[in-house]
Amino acid sequence: MIKPNHRTSWHLAALLLLFVSPAGPIHAQDASVEKAAPETLQEEAGELAQPDVPALPADSGSPPATPVPEDPDWMEDVDVFFGKWVVTPLYRVLFFDFWSDRWVPAGTPEKVTCPNPTCRHSHDVAALYPDSKPPIVIPCPDCGTDIPTGAKVPLVVLWLFVGALFFTIRMGFINVRGFWHAIQVTLGNYDKPGEKGEVSHFQALASALSATVGLGNIAGVAIAISLGGPGAVFWLIVAGLLGMSTKFSECTLGQLYRKVDPDGTVSGGPMHYLRDGLSEIGLGRLGAVLATIFALVCMGGSFGGGNVFQVGQSLEMVRSMVPFVDAYPWVYGLVLVFLAGIVIIGGIRRIASTAEKVVPAMCGLYVLASMYILAVNYVHVGPALVEIVTKAFTPSAAYGGFVGVMMTGIRRAAFSNEAGLGSASIAHAAAKTDEPVSEGIVALLEPFIDTVVVCTMTGLVIVVTGVYDSSRFPECAEFIADGKGAPLTAVAFSTALSWFPWLLTIAVCLFAYSTLISWSYYGERCWSHLFGHKTALVYKIIFLGFVFLGSIVKAQNIIDFSDLMILSMAFPNILGAALLSGKIRRALDDYWHRLKTGEIKTSAEMQKGIES
Amino acid sequence: MNWLPRKTVVVPVDFSSDSFAALDTAAKLAADKADLRVIHVLPELEPAEPGVIWQTIDDADREEHAAKALEAELLKRGHQGLAVRVCFGDPGHQIADYAEELDAGLIVISSKGKSALKRLLLGSVADRVVRLAHCPVLVLKR
Repeated sequence: MIKPNHRTSWHLAALLLLFVSPAGPIHAQDASVEKAAPETLQEEAGELAQPDVPALPADSGSPPATPVPEDPDWMEDVDVFFGKWVVTPLYRVLFFDFWSDRWVPAGTPEKVTCPNPTCRHSHDVAALYPDSKPPIVIPCPDCGTDIPTGAKVPLVVLWLFVGALFFTIRMGFINVRGFWHAIQVTLGNYDKPGEKGEVSHFQALASALSATVGLGNIAGVAIAISLGGPGAVFWLIVAGLLGMSTKFSECTLGQLYRKVDPDGTVSGGPMHYLRDGLSEIGLGRLGAVLATIFALVCMGGSFGGGNVFQVGQSLEMVRSMVPFVDAYPWVYGLVLVFLAGIVIIGGIRRIASTAEKVVPAMCGLYVLASMYILAVNYVHVGPALVEIVTKAFTPSAAYGGFVGVMMTGIRRAAFSNEAGLGSASIAHAAAKTDEPVSEGIVALLEPFIDTVVVCTMTGLVIVVTGVYDSSRFPECAEFIADGKGAPLTAVAFSTALSWFPWLLTIAVCLFAYSTLISWSYYGERCWSHLFGHKTALVYKIIFLGFVFLGSIVKAQNIIDFSDLMILSMAFPNILGAALLSGKIRRALDDYWHRLKTGEIKTSAEMQKGIES
Repeated sequence: MNWLPRKTVVVPVDFSSDSFAALDTAAKLAADKADLRVIHVLPELEPAEPGVIWQTIDDADREEHAAKALEAELLKRGHQGLAVRVCFGDPGHQIADYAEELDAGLIVISSKGKSALKRLLLGSVADRVVRLAHCPVLVLKR
């Protein structure tokens, strides 16, 4: 009974993949002949990691997580094809690093491994350069190939960081000066009756948060620390603080260019502001192109970071707790497909509604649980904080040097809080307000809650308990090596109370589910923008296909693909938002002036005015 | 011009100027203004839309909003007092169903310009109405 099912599941998944990729199985078989793709995948996997990490075997790109993969060759073919024609080209463009590993030192490695696939010899650096410091590029003594030992500066991460810095300065540190006002607006102190929109400020924020608070906060931070060390937490927080300005800018734009339909519903987001906003400043053609690119990559992001990543990482958590799921992971996938399907295709609204409403409560519970662990380990909190700050500036070869640590932190922060990706502005556009800037200000709380509070809690718990250090927790070595972030966090939680991982598992499943639902909405908006509302069912079926894939495919390149897609949303979005930054600044200055002169009144003041 | 003696004429309106132009044409064709029926079709709500999640919008609300907006727009264009109907779902089906329900004599619709990509994927609403309708359909080329 089980075996045939198992087999069908693999075939179904493979079919789905082929359905998504433009070419058929013939090409997939072609690609399996040339085993070029796993090589590049290795580069990705080893990126920012220490150079002396032993190279993965060439075909380790797709170790199936299922215990008895019936048809691994077939899956591998698809995997290799996917890696070669989708992930690798995307990777080359997005993570183009300007060969920075040749001029940004990562510190002094102990060992280096030749990147030449025919050589692959390991060399002891101290033996090669006994007295002097080694150069950034070491020629391999056996084959002469250059071995870079520097840190990589990927284009997209640099883009996100420079973008966040730009918006922070351009908007006059709105992330600091708007903070208190943001809380007041969220509490409804500035609400006026009869404003256009769908939901209140708080509800819009909660909806956007349900998409952002997910496995990125629990698993992503653990991955960041295992790749970048405790110092990554520092850069994560910095990126979160700066990301508040980016989020403010994109959500203000989302409100400025939203469309209110005659029936009172609202649609907005980067597809709208890139197209309409840029055409207003005479860049109509660029705007149309950027809006289309955004809609495409946002759909990709909804399959990847908003879907496969969530399913895959929450599955790791569940299978470490429930032996049955460990044996039959596809059951978990099917359950999620069913639960998501009855909502997004079946139209049963109550479930999605409940799941999204408990997210803020779950968030609070998670933060409380983290604080409990910190309280239990209070003696370690001080040293952990010192370690986080000092390691952020100490070049360590193991973590790719100063730059490597910084890049890891920023990358995981963006993945978690979505600042600069533009997705949240789709949700924030629905807020009931006649003041676009006020919703932008509410939105800046999002990276704060997501990254500065929730991610920092995860980070502190992991650093304080020390689980990232495999010399102290040998059982965690496997999680660190395989990029299984959620179980690592679970081990950290279990050090305090044995039943905490259960609480975490429930939280993780809820976060994953609500993120799935929210992202399906983002993706559906983008699909409708490109192909019309009527064909949205096609999108939804593909989306559910990816949910199932997330539970059976362990292939590194499909997870990399999600990372790539979600981060690449930053290219059209930040470019467009930066070009429109003058407009945002004018709107902000106007709003701020009216706020300071008392022209914008709180609800209480207006009430008084009516009474007197 | 008494083109159709006392038969109802259905005109779908989507707030575009083309669709209001179709209404002008229909007004000329119909024997009496009372025979004109205006229909507006709204898409179904997405279950994950923020307003649906927080239960702040529903179909009754949307119907009321859309009818109000449509009446205001009709007043502006000199078509006050027309019977207005708001439906939910696929425009092609809803328009054809409504015409059948009324036993209408004619549907007047503009063939709207869409982008080439969307036309290829979707066809136009007019195509679908022509295919599904049980009565004559007048398609106005823009």
